[in-house]
Amino acid sequence: MSFDPWVWIGALLTLMIFSFLYRDNPVYRFAEHLFVGVANGYFIALYWHNSLRPNLFEPLSQGNMIYLVPLLLGLMYFARFIPPISWMVRIPIGFMIGWSSGISIPAAFQALVLKQIEGTVILPGSFANPIEGIWSLVILTGVIATLVYFYFSTEHKGVLRPASRLGIIFIMIGFGASFGYTVMARVSLLIGRIQFLLGPWLGLIR
Amino acid sequence: MRWYERIMAIDRRIIYLFLTLFIIVPFFIPFTIGQNIMPQTRRLFDFIESIPPDEKVVMISFDYTPQTAPECHPMAHALLRHCFGRKLNVIGVSFDPQGPGLAVEAFDNVAGIINREARNHQDSVIYGEDYIYLGWKSGMVAALLQMGESISSVYPRDHFRNPVDSFPIMARVRSYKEIAISIILAASAYPEEWILYPQSRYGLAIGAGLTAVMAPQYYPFVQTGQLSGMMSGMKGAAEYEKLIVDHGYTSELGSAERGMNSQSLIHILIIILIVMGNIGFFFSRRTK
Amino acid sequence: MKKKIPLYLCLLVGLVMIVQFFIPHPVSSQFNSIILKWAIILTAFAMILAIGNLIQHHAGRIARQQSGWFYSIVTLAGMAAMAIIGLFWGVRADSLFQKIYLNVLAPLGATMFALLAYYMASAAYRAFRARSLEATLLLLAAFIVMVGFMPFGRFIHSQLPSFAEWIMRVPNMASQRGIMLGVAFGSIATALKIILGIERSWLGDKE
Repeated sequence: MSFDPWVWIGALLTLMIFSFLYRDNPVYRFAEHLFVGVANGYFIALYWHNSLRPNLFEPLSQGNMIYLVPLLLGLMYFARFIPPISWMVRIPIGFMIGWSSGISIPAAFQALVLKQIEGTVILPGSFANPIEGIWSLVILTGVIATLVYFYFSTEHKGVLRPASRLGIIFIMIGFGASFGYTVMARVSLLIGRIQFLLGPWLGLIR
Repeated sequence: MRWYERIMAIDRRIIYLFLTLFIIVPFFIPFTIGQNIMPQTRRLFDFIESIPPDEKVVMISFDYTPQTAPECHPMAHALLRHCFGRKLNVIGVSFDPQGPGLAVEAFDNVAGIINREARNHQDSVIYGEDYIYLGWKSGMVAALLQMGESISSVYPRDHFRNPVDSFPIMARVRSYKEIAISIILAASAYPEEWILYPQSRYGLAIGAGLTAVMAPQYYPFVQTGQLSGMMSGMKGAAEYEKLIVDHGYTSELGSAERGMNSQSLIHILIIILIVMGNIGFFFSRRTK
Repeated sequence: MKKKIPLYLCLLVGLVMIVQFFIPHPVSSQFNSIILKWAIILTAFAMILAIGNLIQHHAGRIARQQSGWFYSIVTLAGMAAMAIIGLFWGVRADSLFQKIYLNVLAPLGATMFALLAYYMASAAYRAFRARSLEATLLLLAAFIVMVGFMPFGRFIHSQLPSFAEWIMRVPNMASQRGIMLGVAFGSIATALKIILGIERSWLGDKE
C-alpha cells in the first residue's frame, strides 16, 4: 500500500466518483464540482503562460505595436458584460467566424472531398490485385449508397429506393463496427482506473 | 416470472459486479496471448523505422486527456521509447488544454528510464538537445498553419517558459520541412485538423494514435494515404508495445498489454449479456 | 450599423482567407502570418470569456443562495487555488501545479469517464435487441469486431481477425466516407452561408 499522500488523494477522489454507481450523493457532487473548478483554474494558468504572455504581452512589451489590434479585438469580447456597448462583442466574433469559415472551405474541399473521391474512384490499376479490385467496387458502391441514403431532398422512389436500402445496410455494418470499438474504448478507461487502485494505491499488482 | 423474463431482468448492480470482477481477476491470474498486429499499426512503426536519425525529427502532439489516458498514454510511452531508441529527436506540442500535464509526465518517465539505463552521454536523452516540449497553444488551426512557416513564431517559449531559440534542437528545426512525421495522440477530432491543414497544404506526413471510439472514422484517411499509420485504442497501444519489444527497444511490455487480458474477458461478458437479452426478447415475443 | 459592421467584417475576412489560399506570393504569406497570430490570441480571449461566464454563474448562485450553492463555493475555491498556484508558482514538471493536475484533476476526469463502461454494459444488455435486419447486421458486425480484434479471436477461427479487419477496411470505411463527404459538403455550404451573411444566428437576437 502506498504512503504517498498524493496517491491517497487520487484514490479517494476516484472512489468518491465511483460512489455514483450506487446513487447520486453529496460526496460525488463535491468531487464533481471540485473537478470543474480545478479544471478551469488549470486552464487560466495555461492560457496565461502558454498563450497570452508569450504571444501577446511579450511582443507588445518589445515595442511590436501591431499587436494592439488583437488586444483591442480580444478586449471587445468583454463588452458583453457592459449593456450599452454589448453589441461590440459581435466584432471579434465576426472576425473569427469569417476567418475560420474562409480557412476551412478550400481545406475541406482538398482534404475531405477531392482526396476522398480520389480514394474511391476505380482505376485500371485498382484491379492489379483482382480481389482488392472487387473490394474497391464494393467501397464505391457503399459510398454512393450511403450518400443516397442521406439525400433527403427528394423522395426515395424508383432506383433511389434500393440504393437507399443498400446504404442503410452499409451504415449499420459501420455502426456495428464502431460499437465494437466503443466497447473496447469504454472498458479501457475502467481498466485504467482499476489498475491505478490495485497498483499504485493498494500495491496488489505491479 | 418465466425463465426468459428472468434473464432479461438481471439487476444492474449484478452486472456492475461481474464487470468489475472480470477486470480484476486477470491482474491476479495473468495469462499471455500474443497480439495480432493490425496493418495500420505496423505501417506507423515501419515509417518511424525508416526515418534517418540525423536528418529529420518527429513531432508528437499530445492531445489526449486524463479521461482517455489509459488508451493514449501507453501509446505515448511506446512512441517515445521507439524514437529515443532510434536516436530520433522529438518535439512535443499540445492543442488540447489538458494535454500538457500528461505530455510532461510521458517525457519525464521515458527519459528517466532511458537515462537510468544509459552507460554514457551518447545513450542519454537530454532536454533541449534530444527532445523538447513546446507546450499548449490556443487557436489550433492558426497555429498549425503558422508552424508551416515558422515554429518558433508560434512557440517563442517552451512549456517551461524558456526561449526556444536557446535550445540546440530548435536551431535545426524551423518549420514542417525538418519534420519527418507528426503523430497526433488524441481523443477527438484533432488529427482531422492536422490532415486538413498541415498535411494538405504542406505535405507533412501524419500519423495518429486514437481512442477506439474515434478509430473507425479515420479508416478513409488511412486508405487514401493521408494518414501514414494509426494506432487504435488500447489494442493499438498493446500492438506497438509488442513491436518495440520484438525489435529490441525495450524488454518489458507496458500497461496496455497487461490491460488486454481484462479487455478480452469483458468483451466475452458483453457478448454473453447481449445474447442473453436477445434470447429473452425472442422468447417473450414468441409467447405474445 | 451594429449588425452591419460585423457582417461586412465577416465577409471581408472570409473572402480574403479563401483567396489567400491560392496566392503563394510572399506578401500574401506575410499577411496570412499576421492574421494567424491574431487568431491565436483571439482564441485565448474567447476561452477566458467562457471562464468568466462560469464565474458569473457560480457567483450568482452563491449570492442568491440557490439550492446547492455550497458546491459553487467548492468550484470557485478550486478554480482560484489552481489558478493562483499556476500563475505565481509556475507550471514546471516538479511544480505543485503539475502535482495537483496528476493527482486531483486526472483521477477525477478519468473516473468520470470510467463510469461509462458500467453504463454501456447495462445499456447493451437492456436495449441491444435484434428487432430487424438492420439491427441484426449491426449486432453481428459488433460481435465480429469485438471478438476478431481480441487476442483470443484467432483461436476461435484463424481467419476471424482478417474478417474483422475486412469489415473495418471495406463496409465500415465506405459508410464512414459517405458520411464524411456529406458532412464536408454541409460544412462548406454552412461556411459559405456565414461568409455571405445568409446565416446570421451568430449575431444574436438583440439589436
